[in-house]
Amino acid sequence: MKVDEIMIKKLESINADAPIYDAIERMIDKRIRSLLVKPRDEKDVYGVITVRDIVFKVLGKNLDLNKTKVGDITSKPLICVNKGVDVEHAVNLMTKSNITRVFICEGKEIVGIISLLDVMSAELIKKAREGHGA
Amino acid sequence: MVLKKVFGGSTEQKVLENIKRHMQILFSASGCFKKGLEEWDKKQMYCVADLEREGDSIRREIISTIYEGAFLPFLRTSICRFVEIVDEAFDALKDAASEFEHLVPKLDKEIRDDCIEIADINQKMCDMLMIAFDTLFNKGDLREKTLAIRIYEKKIDDMKIDLISRLRGKEVKDFWEGKILSDFITYLTHISDVIEDASDYLHIINLSMR
Repeated sequence: MKVDEIMIKKLESINADAPIYDAIERMIDKRIRSLLVKPRDEKDVYGVITVRDIVFKVLGKNLDLNKTKVGDITSKPLICVNKGVDVEHAVNLMTKSNITRVFICEGKEIVGIISLLDVMSAELIKKAREGHGA
Repeated sequence: MVLKKVFGGSTEQKVLENIKRHMQILFSASGCFKKGLEEWDKKQMYCVADLEREGDSIRREIISTIYEGAFLPFLRTSICRFVEIVDEAFDALKDAASEFEHLVPKLDKEIRDDCIEIADINQKMCDMLMIAFDTLFNKGDLREKTLAIRIYEKKIDDMKIDLISRLRGKEVKDFWEGKILSDFITYLTHISDVIEDASDYLHIINLSMR
């Protein structure tokens, strides 16, 4: 199974200078656990902000949600794999890097994301289909 | 051995074959619907209504055979209910196809892509429902098939929420344009709920046979 077969193509992104409050609002509205952080300028690169970052780095330290900016806690650079690699490779990367999601890239473009939950769901569906064709 | 006693008679076998055919037609209708969406071809959608009618006649045949005496009485209601739920999925699919015929402007690419993906997942759910039904009589774990159906349903549920929030910001020219679009999305996303209900009923049938 290849990563592009199970990846989520719709990526939610946010500006690095947006307040954390906006990021929280977006995550709750969209029921997602991470946001792609846009580069500040041409020299900058894409980053990611997760629920875990917000809880540990902002809420846990009692920082102001409106004054703290997304860019202050963004993890960079993104950990990416190519579109055609096996899911197993992506999972190995997650294990080694101790992360729960990997971005899928096609050249310089980010085309999707897979999380542990996506991997688990895809594996369960694959198991349920075993012996019954594709 | 127990399964052979419960399902082994000729009338029972006839019912089972017809139920499989019923689900196979639902799968074909879902595929036809998806193709119509992909090609944005309203004429292609006519096949959904044709297949729904075919499904209807098979449903009537199944119910008649059951009430003529197929299966033990305690199983009859559950099997009939399962068949009726599958028929509700046909109805939702037919309603979605009918609303599609009246959609006036072509949907934005992003919304259309989402609708095609939902139609694709609906078809995969039909396929998984057939697999789950087969599992009732053969070796296999029904629970893992129904879980797969729930995973698909959850995915459509998430897409539905996102789709509706985006559609709320879309400008519509008049009442009917908005209503038709809203109904189309409602029916399209309802199919997965019904298939999930059908898979729950399979679980009930499985429990009754123990």
